[in-house]
Amino acid sequence: MDTVTGASSLVRALEDAGCEVVFGIPGGAILPAYDPLLDSAKIRHVLVRHEQGAGHAASGYAQATGRVGVCVATSGPGATNLVTPLADAYMDSVPVVAITGQVNRSVIGTDAFQEADIRSICLPITKHAFQVTEPEDIPAVIAEAFALAAGGRPGPVLVDIPKDVLSATTTYTPALPVHTPKVTPAANEVRRAATLITSASRPVFYIGGGVVRAGAAAELRTLAERTGIPVVTTLMARGAFPDSHRQHLGMPGMHGTVPAVAALQQSDLLIALGTRFDDRVTGVLDLFAPNAAVIHADIDPAEISKNRKADVAIVGDCKDVLVSLIAAVRQAPVLTSWWAYLDGLRDRFPLGYDWPADGKLAPQHVIERIGTLVGPEAIYTSGVGQHQMWAAQYVGYERPGSFINSGGLGTMGFAVPAAMGAQCGVPDRAVWAIDGDGCFQMTNQELVTCALEGIPIKVAVINNGNLGMVRQWQTLFYQGRYSNTGLSTHKRVPDFVALAEALGCAGLRCEEKSEVDDVILRAMEIRDRPVVIDFVVGEDAQVWPMVAAGTGNDEIMTVRDFKPLFDEDL
Amino acid sequence: MTRHVLSMVLHNVPGALARVVVLFSSRGVDVESLSLDPTERGDVSRMDVVVGLPAGRSPDQLVKQLSRLVDVKSVVAVADQARNQIGA
Repeated sequence: MDTVTGASSLVRALEDAGCEVVFGIPGGAILPAYDPLLDSAKIRHVLVRHEQGAGHAASGYAQATGRVGVCVATSGPGATNLVTPLADAYMDSVPVVAITGQVNRSVIGTDAFQEADIRSICLPITKHAFQVTEPEDIPAVIAEAFALAAGGRPGPVLVDIPKDVLSATTTYTPALPVHTPKVTPAANEVRRAATLITSASRPVFYIGGGVVRAGAAAELRTLAERTGIPVVTTLMARGAFPDSHRQHLGMPGMHGTVPAVAALQQSDLLIALGTRFDDRVTGVLDLFAPNAAVIHADIDPAEISKNRKADVAIVGDCKDVLVSLIAAVRQAPVLTSWWAYLDGLRDRFPLGYDWPADGKLAPQHVIERIGTLVGPEAIYTSGVGQHQMWAAQYVGYERPGSFINSGGLGTMGFAVPAAMGAQCGVPDRAVWAIDGDGCFQMTNQELVTCALEGIPIKVAVINNGNLGMVRQWQTLFYQGRYSNTGLSTHKRVPDFVALAEALGCAGLRCEEKSEVDDVILRAMEIRDRPVVIDFVVGEDAQVWPMVAAGTGNDEIMTVRDFKPLFDEDL
Repeated sequence: MTRHVLSMVLHNVPGALARVVVLFSSRGVDVESLSLDPTERGDVSRMDVVVGLPAGRSPDQLVKQLSRLVDVKSVVAVADQARNQIGA
């Protein structure tokens, strides 16, 4: 038991929790914590330029490493700037601990300078929020925050610490290990699931991000290969099953592949693992997979039967569930006609795109070439919008955790800070942010952080001069009335190459198909600073296939108004 | 609307009540009445809530969502009054 300040206690507690990097910005109320941080040999502090960047970086770090990501901010505006990344981490079940300074205990509730009731603000977007009122509680609270963030269904946890608690003299007592209760998959439900799997004629594995969080990709592959059942991976699960695998039909949902969407719609058995039947996957719920029985396994019992009633409900970690299923499924179902149907769709409706009529670069081509040249060992992040969907469709993912994006909340600006965080966690891998020109303008200030901290990420700005996905909807549903979607980035305002240089990065530009490979290879050779490539692409490219909002998945369109599944019978 | 009675035990810590109430508002649950009482044990409180749910929505989901909260020690739907239409 050592006599220390609350701040030293905090830093030691973080070290004891295994924290190796924190992303943050100091300010008045958190200032005491920054003093002992200077002396920590175990914790690297990355000084970001905006707290939102700290939060997304913590999320990128967590998703790349599987460990808890940590961000730090001061009270008031510092804390409220963390709201978006915490909401993002909550929706995507990412283990993040946010530490915020708070005003002195004696003035809480008096509208003091830089006071915000961040604990209340974060109620609906955190797994839990602590406010530390006694300095001696710090080690136990930090240990519990880490255990809560990582345990069960992962998520963000807030720890709010008043300044005088950090300044006070206290004692450091290492926290006792926190016990996280573990649920074992119920044997009878696993047996019922195995019976359904063996007797199904049109089964499909509907795989969500829970399989990635559980580290269960190898077990999934074993069960999939043993049963021969087709696999679809949602946006959050890209990489959980290799894209190159014959049984993989791609991503389902609003911009999914025709075979993946058809496999769900025509299925007689959905084996849903670590997924939550999100509206972007199901389309109109009443029309989703109308003839399928549902096996739903999730670590969070509140997700089971939330949107679609499960016939067999298995509560448990996806890895444990898969291990149980591997033991229980003794016989593979006969799927000859099912595969004949799906392979037929694969042949007839592969992913594809047209080159823009105006001679501009096709964005899909750019992303496809990045995926090919950079390869599956890299980590890719994306923002939100058209470029995100193309990154999900046209990069081949072979490893879980190799695609990090904002799925549930759909946070524009996620790519650059998430890439920064991921690179800090896995310094030996290439990290590429595939970003849009709209998203890039929201968070590119973190490139300064990357340049100064030696975090050599690559950023491919898919610059179509517009808020592309919104523009696509205006084309399709608002008679081409382009209200406020033009960003003028094709007029070089801003000039992304000059901006990159100003931010301490290398700036490259590519406008011709013949230059695409060269510019990617040049970017790969630059290792002493971050690289930004301005890929100037056509503004009219659209994301296809598409299930329009408010329609059922059977109405999937491969191109505008062409609905291959609508009248087709299996 | 259908009416359901939930009986909960909460840890007696600051913010526990707020978290429960925010869950009701963010999940679209009507609160008809709510009472919070100390128990003989000083570290927990008992909370009884009568909630209204849109027709067709079962209280099971709500019970599971409340169970996720760290400061909720237990929660049960004590009497399923699903057939009692509020106002009928």
